[in-house]
Amino acid sequence: MLLAQVLLNGVLLGALYGLMALGMALVWGVLNIVNLAHGALIMLGGYVVYYCYTLLGIDPLLALPVAMASMFATGYLLQRFLLNLIVRGALLNTLLITFGLDVVITYLGQVVFTADFRTINPSYSGANFMLLGLTVPVLRLIAFGIALLLSSALWFLLNKSGLGRAIRATAQNLVAARLYGVDPRQVYAVTFGIGAALAGAAGGLYGMISHLTPYIGSSLTAKSFVIAILGGLANPFKVILGGIVVGVAESLAALYIGPTYTDVVSFLLLVVILVVRPAHALRAA
Amino acid sequence: MSRKHSFACAIGTLLATAGLAHAQDVIKLGAAVQLTGSEANTGRYYRDAYRLTIDKINAAGGVNVGGKTYHLGLTLLDNQSDVNLGVRQYVQLITSDKVNFLLGPFASNHALNDSSIAEKYQVPMVQGGGASTQIYSRGYKYVFGTLPPADDYYASTLDMLAKADPKPRTVALVAADDSFDVSVAKGTRNHVKDAGMTLAVDQTYREGNADFSTILAEIKSKNVDAILWSGHETEALNFLRQMKGLNVNPTNYYGFTVGVPTEDFRKALGKDADFAFGMTSWLADASLKDRWFGDAIAFAKDYADKYQYAPDYHAASAVADVETFAMAFEQAGSLDPKAVRDAIAKVEFDSVYAHIKYGPNGQIVLPQIVIQIQDGKVVPVYTDRVLNKAYYPIPPWNRRP
Repeated sequence: MLLAQVLLNGVLLGALYGLMALGMALVWGVLNIVNLAHGALIMLGGYVVYYCYTLLGIDPLLALPVAMASMFATGYLLQRFLLNLIVRGALLNTLLITFGLDVVITYLGQVVFTADFRTINPSYSGANFMLLGLTVPVLRLIAFGIALLLSSALWFLLNKSGLGRAIRATAQNLVAARLYGVDPRQVYAVTFGIGAALAGAAGGLYGMISHLTPYIGSSLTAKSFVIAILGGLANPFKVILGGIVVGVAESLAALYIGPTYTDVVSFLLLVVILVVRPAHALRAA
Repeated sequence: MSRKHSFACAIGTLLATAGLAHAQDVIKLGAAVQLTGSEANTGRYYRDAYRLTIDKINAAGGVNVGGKTYHLGLTLLDNQSDVNLGVRQYVQLITSDKVNFLLGPFASNHALNDSSIAEKYQVPMVQGGGASTQIYSRGYKYVFGTLPPADDYYASTLDMLAKADPKPRTVALVAADDSFDVSVAKGTRNHVKDAGMTLAVDQTYREGNADFSTILAEIKSKNVDAILWSGHETEALNFLRQMKGLNVNPTNYYGFTVGVPTEDFRKALGKDADFAFGMTSWLADASLKDRWFGDAIAFAKDYADKYQYAPDYHAASAVADVETFAMAFEQAGSLDPKAVRDAIAKVEFDSVYAHIKYGPNGQIVLPQIVIQIQDGKVVPVYTDRVLNKAYYPIPPWNRRP
């Protein structure tokens, strides 16, 4: 029974991890930018939901679209006016600039939001029900559902829409895409915007399940990085699956080895994947 | 020597003397504190309390050292919640900023490392941010501390539980893996045994961890009577929220080393904070008299008026650190680091924080007051005797008003 409960916890948590990594994997796959500011964008999304809930009284789940929209705009503008300038530079340059962005956003975050820790705490945040002898936390189940919903939406967008075809074409062959009339600057900005919007949704859910401070970003970036590599950059469902693998692995490690070793296990998974299937892991969208 | 040159020399000498005269008037205290980074939320107590106390002492005329009056000055650096940076900054404070004496950072892992610099350069440090007994087990002569030993944080709680009805029989101990919490866990294991209880779950988690679902599932499966938890505030917050989400209900009691006395914690949790037990070495009380502030109530008011948030024991402990120096300077009648160090070891006075007197190892001994959040307010319930009635046993989540 304990094992079943731990597995369930791992799966539910893992899907949220997957949602966090989804935006990073998309941007990485299409733009070849490893966005080290991804966690900071998750943090910003969390604060948007927090203020919608505390200042405007909007239910946090209904505020998720608000966070997604505002983070889309933020991401679009960041890419259009900043990252597009260096998008075709060496990988090291994009790493450096997104690292710088991370520091800037985090410290602006402290100035604006202060270092106080906060939670998004609606009345149903602690709700749970029993199923087959297992305790199911409602909010984590909702987060699981939203992760599946958003990854499906992203899959449809990429595979069934004109915009998705343009995004994939740009990732696969930039010259050919331009010959067919795709404007890469626009596609890059929209893609980064979508990545940021997904980060925004993840941030809102993270604030409801865990807590917010301006400093949560860096550890979430690291986690997203591991999952993006585990899940590969091509398929949104595989990213969610990657998240679940990490969530379950961490939970089992906490149970059998000890809670001190959860991070060791997820990074060990990363090493194993990179050794065993490096080409698969980094194949672009 | 040309006239121009000698003029420049004269100006230089004049400036140097002026600088010297100035340096003689001010005793420079230095500290590297978490002003940014993940611990900035607690680091601010030290920044604000150091400043407030120094202003207060200066406004009262400063300190009299061997017949000469000095004001106190403060050089404050931001260690960005980074232990390694903090250590380098303490070296900088001594070697290039030329501060005379050292105040401490927040948290045991910082204090543990930073205090080695104080010892190496033989510059006294009084710190109110590190409680781990590791800090005081190295035979250092120049390090003093105003937080009581971490090993005994749960002593008064277990004393209370041993006399409680119903008395808990099985206990889960959950602690982070940093210096402070390792120290708490080590001491608590002994106290649990002494109280005649069994440790059913004993888990250590990684500092900064945000997911406790596995530990909670284990606690639930063992059906324990009490949970003793030790870690940092955001982790306490996550633990408590996940307890509710996973419907984990120890039969009698759950308590935290940190968080409960802090305003932020109660604000973030709202009603879910109710019933949680905690501990504090300090509560604002009129019986705590102070030479500069009057009493602890007046201090709490001054502090809240100036900084727009309420002080907790971190801030009060930081006040005692600055006051320790002021008292020691006067008693030593000299600013020689060795003389001041010896004076600190002997100093004894009342402050807003507590009656200050350092043990032979440099650490103060104070009982922890057991507190509980009752209807959104922090209520002291026990020290070595009952202070107020506790809501005990804690009702399960689904049977709360």
